Amino acid sequence: MRGRRVDPAAGARAGALPEAIAALSRSLPSGPSPEIFRRAKFDRPDATSALWQLLFRVLSPLPAGSALASIALEVQARLVKSALCSQGYPRLALAQLPEDGSQGSRELLLALSWLLARGPVPEQMVAQTRVPLGDEMTVCQCEALASLGPPAPHMETEGPVDVRHVQWLMGKLRFRWRQLVSSQQEQCALLSKIHLYTRGCHSDQSLGHLSVTEAEMLRDPEGGQQLLRTLEHENRRLEAVLAWRRAELVFWQWMDTVLGTCAPEAPAAASQPTFLPWVPECGDGELELVVRELRTLEEELREAAERRRVAWEAKARGCGRGPEWSAARRACRETVEKELGALQRCWEQDRSPAQAHGPHRLVRREDGAAGDRDLRAAELIRTLRSQEACLEAMLRQLQGQCRQELARLAGALPGLIWIPPPGR
Amino acid sequence: MLPADCSRRLVAELQGALDACAQRQLQLEQSLRICRRLLQAWEPTGTWAWEPPPEPETNEEDPLPACTPSPQDLKDLEFLTQALEKAVRVRRGITKTGERNKAPSLKPGSLVTSPGMTASTPPQSPGQAGGHASDTRPTKGLRQTTVPAKGRPERRLPSVLDRTRVGIGVRAPRPGAGLRNQLMAPSAAPQAPEAFTLKEKGHLLRLPAAFRKAASQNLSLWVQLSSMQTSDSMDAAAAKTQFLQNMQTASGGSQPRLSAAEVEAEARRLRKACSLLRLRVREELSAAPVDWMQEYRCLLTLEGLQAMVGQCLQRLQELRAAVAEQPPLPCPVGRPPRASLSCGGGAEPTWSPQLLVYSSTQELQTLAALKLQVAMLDQQIHLEKVLMAELLPLVSAAQPEGPSWLTLCRAVHSLLCEGGARVLTILRDEPAD
Repeated sequence: MRGRRVDPAAGARAGALPEAIAALSRSLPSGPSPEIFRRAKFDRPDATSALWQLLFRVLSPLPAGSALASIALEVQARLVKSALCSQGYPRLALAQLPEDGSQGSRELLLALSWLLARGPVPEQMVAQTRVPLGDEMTVCQCEALASLGPPAPHMETEGPVDVRHVQWLMGKLRFRWRQLVSSQQEQCALLSKIHLYTRGCHSDQSLGHLSVTEAEMLRDPEGGQQLLRTLEHENRRLEAVLAWRRAELVFWQWMDTVLGTCAPEAPAAASQPTFLPWVPECGDGELELVVRELRTLEEELREAAERRRVAWEAKARGCGRGPEWSAARRACRETVEKELGALQRCWEQDRSPAQAHGPHRLVRREDGAAGDRDLRAAELIRTLRSQEACLEAMLRQLQGQCRQELARLAGALPGLIWIPPPGR
Repeated sequence: MLPADCSRRLVAELQGALDACAQRQLQLEQSLRICRRLLQAWEPTGTWAWEPPPEPETNEEDPLPACTPSPQDLKDLEFLTQALEKAVRVRRGITKTGERNKAPSLKPGSLVTSPGMTASTPPQSPGQAGGHASDTRPTKGLRQTTVPAKGRPERRLPSVLDRTRVGIGVRAPRPGAGLRNQLMAPSAAPQAPEAFTLKEKGHLLRLPAAFRKAASQNLSLWVQLSSMQTSDSMDAAAAKTQFLQNMQTASGGSQPRLSAAEVEAEARRLRKACSLLRLRVREELSAAPVDWMQEYRCLLTLEGLQAMVGQCLQRLQELRAAVAEQPPLPCPVGRPPRASLSCGGGAEPTWSPQLLVYSSTQELQTLAALKLQVAMLDQQIHLEKVLMAELLPLVSAAQPEGPSWLTLCRAVHSLLCEGGARVLTILRDEPAD
């Protein structure tokens, strides 16, 4: 950074801005130098490609790796635009920037700041490349089997297939599930043994035993060296993030001035000639399915509720009226409201706050004692069992629905006897 | 045969599920390989294992094993070791000196252990070599760890001799291969040295000091980070909100348009709502109230659920209308890439070092099995819905004539009603005439 930036507004803060920006760029993977930021404020073209690359690193869903570096700048720029668009970036100037890195650094700086303002980006970036020192298990369902992203269309099927092929694929899948279960059980047994045998070694008393990673490090010192280096690198980045958090106010004040230097944009023009119409990821078809389901449900509920309301009214007329009566009814109402409110919160919030997210380090303790902030396996097991029951019920219900439907479709045929397979 | 587009979709969906399983299986197998290897016999290299904490007098030394010793260093080391050996001998007194004196060969033995270690502790009798202290307080580990450490070289005499002949310094674990090779060769010696296994000697291991320092620093930094996030500075938060608002106004739109990510998130929420509501409705309808209070509650619940379903439907209609008339900002690329969202998205703390405590192998296995079961059920339900959407229309549309229709029916029944596990039998019952 060429000398200190003189801020007429607050001489005391003179050195704070470059420090804040330096901390920011230390905390981001391959962060550009503070000089780049300064040049971007003045929309200098030489700052453009570094910012494209930084935005790409931040927005890319892929983990960091050498593969990323080899992607051409134009492709990176296109993907950045696309990702920002889908997140709702408000400024149209971004979409109109040329993708060769020849101009637009100020706009890119604004885009970066927009992302920084919306979420804890540096923390997320460090968490992505975190070194797991322990044996970890994730508790939440965010990375469930099914949600591995859209299936890569690897081999396009050559035309129509027979339904038996589908059956075969299903059988293969069931076999793979069984394999997973048994491999998983074995891994847990081995893990538990390693924890047991290394009990008493760890310098950290709360952990008590080594993890596989740590034992591996003792077995393979080269790998251990590598691990140590990566760990120290992560520590430097964490320190940078903390420094950034302490100093970031200055940065936001500066960004307001940057925004001030841009001309205000006109409201969105009607035509966007250069772009393809965007097809929502969740196609309208899927929403249609949900609508249909809800409508059937509504119908069913209307019928059942009406029936019961009538029956109830008849019964209630028979019983007397009185203060205890209405008090009891009010209590009922309140309980129901509370229950339904809790149900609604289950989907309103994107996740249940009670449940912890992300991976946790497994620690074996004979007495199972856990601190306040730690999770206990027994409790998790309870939660998972109820989730399992819930899902099983759902599956059975769907299967029952299918059975009814098929019976209806096929039952009309005379001369056939349908023998269901022996029950479970 | 199924129609082409239906085939494509079904195969793609199933193949996706198969790929997800395969990937998970690969990860598990990798982990299994590592675990199995750790449970077999292996050699923890030199100082990393039985390195005692440094002596109380000296500063916290950092045996950063990064450097290989120069020949000069090795020589110095040898001199130092010899001097210390002498001191040990003097301290020990007459009775033990006999044993010790036996071996110039034992001198190299102490090279294995860190020089300087033996100096300050009253040496234990070599006969106790096998008995390792079972409690291992790390800070006072000096006493305990010296016992087995010293015991070892005496047992593995030939191996140690070989080692010193090659002149390898102990301070620096060279690329493990080199050292280990030297160790491997002599272990073939008839002395039958005890191989190290985690089972027997796992609790003697010690992590190197450099790593310990870095790890504890790492932990404290993460803790600081997560506590800082939960109590975010008010000024910074206000400044950020202000900045976002300014961005919005500067781009000419007072109302932020619906972004693709938001549409997806809302749709996901409503899908979840649908499943939860349906499940709850089932529960209520199948419950049998025994008294008027329960009946009343059931009634109220059903009516409440009805209202909620109505609300969800309304939100869905609004969403579809909004998407239709004012499509979200168009994107240059056909399909926007899934943004790198963390687990909780948005403004939640990213990672905090929490522990997951379990008490037995059984418990761990149950936990893992349940997790897997829930994930598989999730996948199965998703597939069920997809299959239902694709196959049921085919059955209803097809003409019920000929054996191919029966095959289709059997297959569809098996897939949709039995999860592909069982198949029903169809008997043709020709009227005898």
